[in-house]
Amino acid sequence: MNTHVNISQDIVKNTASPATSDLSRRSFLVGSAAAGLALGYAGVPGLVGADAALAATAHFDPSVWYSIAPDGLVTVTCGKADMGQHIASTMAQIISEELGSNWKDMRVQLASNDPKFNDPVLGAQITGGSWSTMMNYDAMSRAGAAGRIALTEAAAASMGVPAGELVVRDSVISHPKSKKSMTFADIVKSGKATKTFTPDELKAIKLKTADQYTMIGVSVPQLDIPSKTNGSAKYGIDVMLPGMVYGKVVTPPVRFGATVKSVDDSAARKVPGFIKAVTLDDKTGTTTGWVVAVADTYANARRAADALKIDYEGGPNAKLSSESLLNEARRLQSLDDSGLFFVKDGDTAAAFGTAAKVIEAEYTTNINIHAPMEPMNATAQLQGDIWHIYSGNQFATRSGAIAAGAAGVDPKFVVMHQMWLGGGFGRRLDADMMVPAVQAAKAVGKPVKVIYSRENDMTMDFSRPLTFQKVKAGLDGDGKLIALNHDVVSAWPTKRWGIPDFLTPSVDKKGGLDGFTVNGADFFYTVPNHNVRAILNEMAHNATPSGQLRSVAPGWTFWAVESMVDELAHAVGKDPAQYRIEMLDGKGANAGGAQRLRNTLLAAMGMSGYGTKQLPKGEGMGVACVSSQERATASWTACVAHVAVADSGEVKVKKLTVATDVGTQVHPDNIRAQVEGAALWGLSLAMYEKATLKDGGIEQTNFDTYTPLRMSQVPEVAISVIANGEKATGVGEPAVTVIAPALANAIFNACGARVRSLPITAEAVKGAMKA
Amino acid sequence: MPTLNINGRNMSVEAANDTPLLWAIREQLQMTGTKFGCGAGLCGACTVHVNGEAVRSCQTSLSDVAGKKITTIEGLSAKGDHPLQKAWIAEQVPQCGYCQSGQIMQAASLLARNSNPTKEEVIEHMDGNLCRCMTYSRIQKAIMRAASEMRTAATATDRRAT
Repeated sequence: MNTHVNISQDIVKNTASPATSDLSRRSFLVGSAAAGLALGYAGVPGLVGADAALAATAHFDPSVWYSIAPDGLVTVTCGKADMGQHIASTMAQIISEELGSNWKDMRVQLASNDPKFNDPVLGAQITGGSWSTMMNYDAMSRAGAAGRIALTEAAAASMGVPAGELVVRDSVISHPKSKKSMTFADIVKSGKATKTFTPDELKAIKLKTADQYTMIGVSVPQLDIPSKTNGSAKYGIDVMLPGMVYGKVVTPPVRFGATVKSVDDSAARKVPGFIKAVTLDDKTGTTTGWVVAVADTYANARRAADALKIDYEGGPNAKLSSESLLNEARRLQSLDDSGLFFVKDGDTAAAFGTAAKVIEAEYTTNINIHAPMEPMNATAQLQGDIWHIYSGNQFATRSGAIAAGAAGVDPKFVVMHQMWLGGGFGRRLDADMMVPAVQAAKAVGKPVKVIYSRENDMTMDFSRPLTFQKVKAGLDGDGKLIALNHDVVSAWPTKRWGIPDFLTPSVDKKGGLDGFTVNGADFFYTVPNHNVRAILNEMAHNATPSGQLRSVAPGWTFWAVESMVDELAHAVGKDPAQYRIEMLDGKGANAGGAQRLRNTLLAAMGMSGYGTKQLPKGEGMGVACVSSQERATASWTACVAHVAVADSGEVKVKKLTVATDVGTQVHPDNIRAQVEGAALWGLSLAMYEKATLKDGGIEQTNFDTYTPLRMSQVPEVAISVIANGEKATGVGEPAVTVIAPALANAIFNACGARVRSLPITAEAVKGAMKA
Repeated sequence: MPTLNINGRNMSVEAANDTPLLWAIREQLQMTGTKFGCGAGLCGACTVHVNGEAVRSCQTSLSDVAGKKITTIEGLSAKGDHPLQKAWIAEQVPQCGYCQSGQIMQAASLLARNSNPTKEEVIEHMDGNLCRCMTYSRIQKAIMRAASEMRTAATATDRRAT
């Protein structure tokens, strides 16, 4: 995380007035706090959080994060978006550890956008960065402990025994000496659990130490999984409201910048159930040239959408292609005064002057599309003054503001109802779907559920940007890397959000750069002279409004760094793994992190049998190691990829061995699931997924031309999770970033072909063989 | 007004005959376990059974299913306890879960005719179902677990019968 980030204030600045001004940690007050906390919203009728708090007088609400009902069931409210990482269950698990509840009593629900559910570290509702566990661990632990203390004191009073003699286990508080006991349900029913905690008291609670854990570190059954095997889990697309009608968006052939000249709905009006064609007036700047066909059913909305004749003005980007964006990136990179410095250590110019050898290389990645299985959707309903929005969303704080902007109301009049996300991967950080839902609902005076077709979803994705990186390395006479210039040219997804504090000040204070395009380039290798320039490709920024795609910048920065380090090792005749280990010496600011990464690399090498045996001709192993996501929030991940390359250039991935140091494991099985999913995402991006821009539009429209990994393409994956007792890190993304460079390095070792562009194609491998 | 035989019940739906079965199930019958993914038969999220065969409901019109038996994830078992559903929980397969109804329905049509599939047969049968969370290896394990349970159950039934 960028430690200076304080997004709440800027969301406020950028999107009209604040929902509430006080985002402090008072949410941890125990007892009556939940009702008190809702005060900022008390004047807003129909607000879910407030209603629940007011209706919950018979319950015990030790903090906003959970409530214990008279039947003893503990319902945790998760403020994070659950997109399959089981974060709701994880929050419940951390609370349960300190609370002392039985796992069978735990339930989860998803939070509204009431600021009381804001992330305790980030001060907003945003889910990404593999941050959730690390940033909520302490808060959820303290919430759980506060509840246990309050229940224990109430039980002590009821039993007439000293609180210090009570034992809490499995939702029961017992007094071994007198053999008295009370269940959590008994205590809540007694109404005596009323203790409140000030923030300072909460901070002073002595939490369990790891050796006392009975819940953290256990692979308990995920609470959301049964509902995802019988069709009962409700996603945004499943929302049904009385009187609701349906909207299908019609999007222009140009990704961004087109305008609607005219809409002829004469044919659409013949479609049964057709209600209206609504041309969006999007003052939030999120969409351009969109129309919504509204009808009584989605099938009819699609028919009507197909029947609309819309005349577009293509706008300034209508002639652009992937080639244009790449050419522009090269042009920008070649200019000395482009961009802003993310890293500026030592004096690279001087060091290149003394270098025995200078090696340069260019690395590119193509546009990538999120394509979660649940197409984008949102349901909007105006009730009185309040806009109710139902949608699975990763950034409720901003999405609520965008919905407000689309409706022309203050954000405090928008209630976001969170749903399970049918995949997020960063796509649902964006809020475009709010605009058609709100404006269609406003236009027809009914609740509207807008569902994108897959074609809308793919061609209007806030994609991973096309990237161009140039790396120049200087080696001394011993082959040691003494200078590195690393230029990263891309669209700047975070800049597009219009939240200045989300930008990172350049090291020379010349401006704000998008750190989420260069994270990872500030690696843990010791390189005395090191520059990283972040260069905005304005053309790409405008033509392909980009977003955060699972693993974000480290998905391309480590592609360049870990490929280049390998190239350098080969250039000086050293084993690439050994070459890395020598640079992970832990000097200066790299102390600690470098050694953890080295150890992780060694673990992956050991598990894969790296270097222990002669491989058949055409096969090779390659290594890579990464500190994704950001330096301050790193996990330590290494991969050894084993490939076989045919003469045709066809690559068969035989095995991916991934080791990752996560500090503390809350749920070992979930970590493995996430790391495996992330590794296969990395493989999919490295070899199977490619989107292209032509005439200003994304050419790929469905899963026939944009082709994520399928079951038949899954290689053997071996995972080793290192839990060494350090603080819990994130696991949803880092393994994405290590795969592509490990594969490219393996391909080089297998056949001598160096590929520098993603995705890796058989043609590129064959071409590089000949060269 | 077409009538559908769905999960053992006859239900009439207000929709034109050329309406995709998917949308009639989701909107008219409000059974939302069957998911919309691609609208083109490329992802498998909308898989249901028609007369026991796995079909893509986004590519099947109401007129195609007249007089046929339709089964959705809601009707696969009475209590969500089909061997595949139990195996999906045992292996903790779902992540986001959105594709999993389709995955389970697709797998169920395989196990109904072959309760002892090889890994290759499983992959061939399942390759049309995308999982963007990439839970593929757990899906495979869960299918094998369910197949094993079904074989054991069948053996027990055989023993009782003899």
